[in-house]
Amino acid sequence: MENQILEIEDLKRILPQRYPFLMIDRVIYSGQDKVVALKNVSVNEGFFEGHFPDEKVMPGVLIIEAIAQTGIVLVHNVKSKEKKIDKDKKRIYFLGGINKVRFFQPVKPGDQLKIEVKPVKLISNIGMICGEVFVKDKKVAQAELSFSMKEID
Amino acid sequence: MPNIEQEIREIIAEIIEKKPETITGDANLFEDLGADSMMALEILAALEKKYKVVIPEDKLTQLTSLRKIMELVETLKKKR
Repeated sequence: MENQILEIEDLKRILPQRYPFLMIDRVIYSGQDKVVALKNVSVNEGFFEGHFPDEKVMPGVLIIEAIAQTGIVLVHNVKSKEKKIDKDKKRIYFLGGINKVRFFQPVKPGDQLKIEVKPVKLISNIGMICGEVFVKDKKVAQAELSFSMKEID
Repeated sequence: MPNIEQEIREIIAEIIEKKPETITGDANLFEDLGADSMMALEILAALEKKYKVVIPEDKLTQLTSLRKIMELVETLKKKR
């Protein structure tokens, strides 16, 4: 369980999101202390068509979403270990707040995002995580997110 | 000696986005000041970081006013 690589089919068992809203491609470190995910940003991403027609920049809100989805994997790891959740039950997550957000440089087609997420405070069905996003070891974004989760049938 | 009451009041004020003077000792953060459970968690995380204490999860529901939060932080600081 600890530190295994999660491919997209593994991620789809954890994340409730689906195309076109899966914002991470692979997890390269999967622990309870930290999760590190990768996202390859292709020129074919739908959002580049409008954002912007003459200069393609990945929307910051979607970078936040990538942090959030990496955070879901982290929460899943922590909760599975504590055996506090039924692994087979589906769960959805709601963003409650975003703090300390900074975008340091634009993300462009061809970039690979490395998203590192750590827990700030996780309790029963709500939590806070912090995330940093790197392109080639240069920090491009950071944010602290709070969220709640809900089991669905 | 820092004024803990004022420090905590400012932490709460920033998170729940209210003026510090509206946060009196006994004002109920949820019923009177409109805080929600996620804000409560943010307050808890901010207090843990500032005062280097660990606030147990079962205390969260008791933290309904500035006075109660202060009492808990004081108790935890002594135990540290």
